[in-house]
Amino acid sequence: MVADRQRRLEKDAVSLLEAIALRAEAGRRVHGESARAVLRSIVEATVALFDAEAASIALYDAASDRLVFEVAAGEQGQGVIGLSIAPDQGIAGYVFRTGQALALSDVEHDSRFGRAVAEQTAYLPRSIVAVPLVSDERTIGVLEVLDKRGATTFSLRDIELAAIFAQQAATAISATRVERDVASLLASGLRALAAPDDPERATVEEIVLAATAGLGRDDDSRLWVLAEAVAGVRMADPAQLELVTEILDALARHAGRETRRRRRSRPGRGDPSEPG
Amino acid sequence: MELDLPAWSEPFVGERRAELGHLGPFGALDRDVAFGGSDGSGVRVAIIDSGVERDHPAVGGRLVASYRVEPTDEDPIVVEDPDAIDVVGHGTACAGIIHSLAPAAELISVRVLGPDNRGKGSNFAAGLIWAIEHGVTVANLSLSSRSEAFFGLFHELTDEAYFGNVLLVSAANNVPGPSYPSLFSSVVSVAAHDVADPWTWYYNPRPPVEFGAHGLDVDVAWRDGGRIVATGNSFAAPHIAGVAALIRAKHPTATPFEVKAMLAATAGR
Repeated sequence: MVADRQRRLEKDAVSLLEAIALRAEAGRRVHGESARAVLRSIVEATVALFDAEAASIALYDAASDRLVFEVAAGEQGQGVIGLSIAPDQGIAGYVFRTGQALALSDVEHDSRFGRAVAEQTAYLPRSIVAVPLVSDERTIGVLEVLDKRGATTFSLRDIELAAIFAQQAATAISATRVERDVASLLASGLRALAAPDDPERATVEEIVLAATAGLGRDDDSRLWVLAEAVAGVRMADPAQLELVTEILDALARHAGRETRRRRRSRPGRGDPSEPG
Repeated sequence: MELDLPAWSEPFVGERRAELGHLGPFGALDRDVAFGGSDGSGVRVAIIDSGVERDHPAVGGRLVASYRVEPTDEDPIVVEDPDAIDVVGHGTACAGIIHSLAPAAELISVRVLGPDNRGKGSNFAAGLIWAIEHGVTVANLSLSSRSEAFFGLFHELTDEAYFGNVLLVSAANNVPGPSYPSLFSSVVSVAAHDVADPWTWYYNPRPPVEFGAHGLDVDVAWRDGGRIVATGNSFAAPHIAGVAALIRAKHPTATPFEVKAMLAATAGR
C-alpha cells in the first residue's frame, strides 16, 4: 500500500538522518574539545616562547556579539577565561574590527586602558601585543600576549611571531567549523528538499525535527560515550562531508520521485481543490 | 614551522636595509625642494579610524571637523560627530603623529569603528567614500579589510581617489595574507621600520609595500588625554601621511603619483 510505503520511507529516512546527525554532533563535540586543547597548547607555547606573563585567545561569538576569552596560559592569564568584551572596544576590539596587529607598552600610564578587564582579573599589564585570528579572510578572534619578561616592549618581530601562532589557532578553529557545517548542511539540505510551495513540506520538517530531537548537547548518556568513541576513530575523515552530500542527493532524488508519484495518486494536503 | 612569511617590515629592518639602495631619477629633488619651509597649511588630512579626541594636547586644536559612520538598514551613512570622541585611542595616536610633522594641516576625523551590522568592511568603505567625495587632500588609513568581498569595491575606490587627487596612505598589515586597500598600487602603502626617528623613511623598490616609516616604540597620544608607547604599521602610516601633507602644501598641483615620487626621492638611503 502507498501509505505503508510512505511510512516505511519516512522511518528509514529518520533512521538515516539520526545516524548522520548523531555523527555530526559527535564529531563537533570531539573536535570542539580537541580544538580547545590545540588552542590551549598554542597559548602555552606562546607564553613559553615570549617568556610572557600571560597569553590568551578571544573568539567572536556572533550570538552574543561579544569577544569571549576562550583559553589563556601563564601565571597571570587564568583570570581572563570566560570574560567577554564588546567587539569594538579596547585593544582586542580594535584589532578584531580592523584586522590590524599592534603592540602597546607603558599601558599602566593610560587612564582607562584595560581597567575594566584588569579589575576582574586583578592583573593590569604593562605591555601587550594583540594580533587577529584570520580564517577564510575573516577575523574570527584575537590572540593577546601580555608582559614579556625581561623586555618592556614588543618588537616588530614579536608581532610577526604572534601572528604565526594566531594563524595556527585560526586553522584549528576552522577545522572544527567544518564539523559544525556538517550539521547545518544537513538541516539546510533537508529544507531544500521541500520547495516552499510543496504541500509535503510539513512532512520533511517533521523528519528534520525527529532526526535532530534528543541531540541534547550536555547529557552524558552511554549513547554519547559510544558515539564519541566512534567519532574519535573517524576523526578528520574528509569523506564525511562527501558522504552526507551523497546521502542528501539520494534523498532528494527519492523524495522528488515519491512526491511526484504521490501527487499523481492523491492530492496534497494543502491542495485547495481537495473537497472538505 | 614555516617562518618565511611576507613580513612587510622586514626589508626596512636592520641589515636588510642595505638592499634598499635604489637611485631613482631624482638628482635635483631633495627634501628642501619637496617640502622645505612647509608646515602643511591649506591641506586637509582625514583620519579614518577610531575617532580623534578634539581636546587632546597632541592634536593642537587642529581637528576642524569630526564625523562618524552610522549603520542603517541600507548602506551606512556618515554623520557629524559633535562630541569628537575616540573609542580606542588609536585614531588620536595617528592624528597626533600627523600634527607633529605637519602642524598647520587641518585634521578631519572619520570614525568608522562602532556598531556595524553589515560586516566589518562596510563602515570602513563608507568612511573612505566620504573622504573621497569631500575632497580631502590626504587620508590616513591605518586599517584594512581582508574580505575578498571588498576587493572590487576598494579597488574602485582607491582608483577613484587616485584620479580624484586624494592621496591615500594605507598601513600594511603585520599579519600575512592579503588586505585591502593597502596592497593596491594606487595607495601609498607603509610598514614600520626600527629606526627611532620620525623624519626617517625608506622607499622599497620591491613592492607591494613601498615605504617604511617610524613604527617601533612610538610615543603616541592615546584616549582620555593620555599617551602610550605603541608599535605597529598603524603608526608608521601617519608619519608618511604627515610628510605627504607637507609636500601637498608646498606643491598644491602635484598629483598623488607625483607626491609618491617625491616621497621616494626624499627617502633615506
